[in-house]
Amino acid sequence: MTALASVRALLARRPYAFAALLTLTLLLIDIAVQPAFAAPSNWPAVLASFAPLACAAMASTPAILSGGGGIDISIGPVLTLVNIVIVADLLPNGLTSPLLVVPICLAVGAAIGAINGFMVAVLRFQPVVATLCANIVVGGLATQVQGGSVPTGSTGWTKDLAGSFGPVPGALLTIGAPLLIWVLLARTPFIKALYAVGGDDATAYSAGMNVPVVRIAAYALGGLYAGIAGIALMSLISEGAASMATQYTLLAIASVALGGTALSGGRGSLVGSLLGAGSIYLINNLLNEVNVSTLWSTAIYGALLLFAVVVGAVLTNTRRRTA
Amino acid sequence: MSDTALTDTPAAPETAGGRPPLVAQLSDWQRRFPLLQIVALVALYGYGLATIDGFGSHRVLYAILINASLLGLAGAGQTIVVLVGGIDFSIAAFISAGDVVIAELCGTYHWSVPAAAAVALAVGAAGGLVNGLLSFRFKVEPLIVTLGVSALVSGLLLKWINGAATGVTPAWLGDLTAANGTTFGLAIPPVVLIWALVALVIGLVLTRTRAGRHLYLTGVNQQAAKLSLVRVGRTWICAYVASAVLAVCVGILLAGYSGSGNVTVGDPYLFQSLAAVIVGGTMFGGRGDYWRTVLGALVLSVVALLLSAAQLPSAEQQMITGGLILAVVGLYGRERRLRDRI
Repeated sequence: MTALASVRALLARRPYAFAALLTLTLLLIDIAVQPAFAAPSNWPAVLASFAPLACAAMASTPAILSGGGGIDISIGPVLTLVNIVIVADLLPNGLTSPLLVVPICLAVGAAIGAINGFMVAVLRFQPVVATLCANIVVGGLATQVQGGSVPTGSTGWTKDLAGSFGPVPGALLTIGAPLLIWVLLARTPFIKALYAVGGDDATAYSAGMNVPVVRIAAYALGGLYAGIAGIALMSLISEGAASMATQYTLLAIASVALGGTALSGGRGSLVGSLLGAGSIYLINNLLNEVNVSTLWSTAIYGALLLFAVVVGAVLTNTRRRTA
Repeated sequence: MSDTALTDTPAAPETAGGRPPLVAQLSDWQRRFPLLQIVALVALYGYGLATIDGFGSHRVLYAILINASLLGLAGAGQTIVVLVGGIDFSIAAFISAGDVVIAELCGTYHWSVPAAAAVALAVGAAGGLVNGLLSFRFKVEPLIVTLGVSALVSGLLLKWINGAATGVTPAWLGDLTAANGTTFGLAIPPVVLIWALVALVIGLVLTRTRAGRHLYLTGVNQQAAKLSLVRVGRTWICAYVASAVLAVCVGILLAGYSGSGNVTVGDPYLFQSLAAVIVGGTMFGGRGDYWRTVLGALVLSVVALLLSAAQLPSAEQQMITGGLILAVVGLYGRERRLRDRI
């Protein structure tokens, strides 16, 4: 019992510890099942296939942290839109320099995020409503930009992002960028303001905080991260794929929740979402490695997700019945 | 006082004070009765009548009604779950489950329809039970639980049929959703009457019975509900079971509509069922009722038909739909100002 109690105490202090434990366990199982998985030569490919989900999970986090039922279900369409814009609009028109492409992608993502934030914080739409509509509109926009056929294309630096820059796996850049931005922002008052607003917006407002600005910034930051996720996805698959939007939206939100972030806002962390995404990625990876029939893999993924959240809930004291 | 659920208290005097009496009166009515939803529906239908030839014909009306019936039934469960304070992302999977189970059992294994329907409904009830139990007992976010159950159900389904549905549904099941169908000699598609009946029952249960009041109370404030001797857990779980069972019923109807089983038939309803609830004006946690979702489903179906009549590419249809939902919901479905919640 004391061991369980100390695990609970740890999880109460560090909500992402459960996701960390789960990721580590799954990683060890993966390596045990297929030792080649851990080979350094394999890292760039593994990280590159992990990067889109990792960034999408981190993109979903700020909106959820900002509280008030905050959630962004337009992350999936935004990242596929960015992906398609690169492949269908930028590359064919000779805009291949990363100094040009990356800022455009980040601007597209952040702009859509800021519009979402504006709808939530200023126009006072419920976040689910605002971002569901954004999901529908951006999804339509992505389909339109994609056109009739699936566009394909890549260029030097996107291939490197999916592979490696010299000895450094390229995906470390796409996964590391959101974390770096977060760490830099933590030096400003913004992150503290975000947790304050997410914890209790009325109290934050009474304390003189500019709640709408903090919320808009949170959604814009999520959009920016979704832009990075779009770049990561584009470099991975080198084609436009509007149909993958829903899948990424749902997996990203599942990652955030698995990472110990409360969907009620104000509690959780970016690292947790990254670890949550890691668990989901490793579950799917494991199912591929052990040659489970693809027919079984969806069911097993669902069962493992349920198992993981229930075990996480049992272990985490704070989430138990206090109602 | 930061509890958003208090919004629904009629005629908050401090907001009424700052507005002209007529506006305050109207907004008071809007809180009790879906006025603007009806205005939006009439305006959209009138726009169709004015601009599109033959929009008033029976054929078009029935197309709208059949579409709205399926959407409204899919949104019925979502309404109940949203009212109790949860959300259900497994509706799409249960619709597919109902569809495939009926098509396979009847078409491939030659079961009778009632037996197959019983199996499908049992699958729904069991899945809803898992949804409700896990999210209540362990206090896991319902969004994640329903996503997990959704993957589990559609995965098992996929394995059972080995990737491709082969069954064909009995012909009479298709008559239920046929636009030229008749009910007891009346020239109304049976599915529309089924929907009307279900709407009547759910509407009455929500507003006129103890179970309905327990549902609202649980949605507004679980702690207060528990102290008022409401069995919060049972109410919560029943809401999820009802949602899954209703979704399975939609799946059975869809199997008749398309004539064969299809594991992806429910996918569009993942967000559409939520959109119908939202357009209707039901808000999370005890604000709203099923009549609003009925209006929401009708509004969405009229919009869908208007757009397809305009022969726009599907991408543009999608964008306009999103914008219209936002515009319509903006009329009535917004949160209170932060400064009014302190």
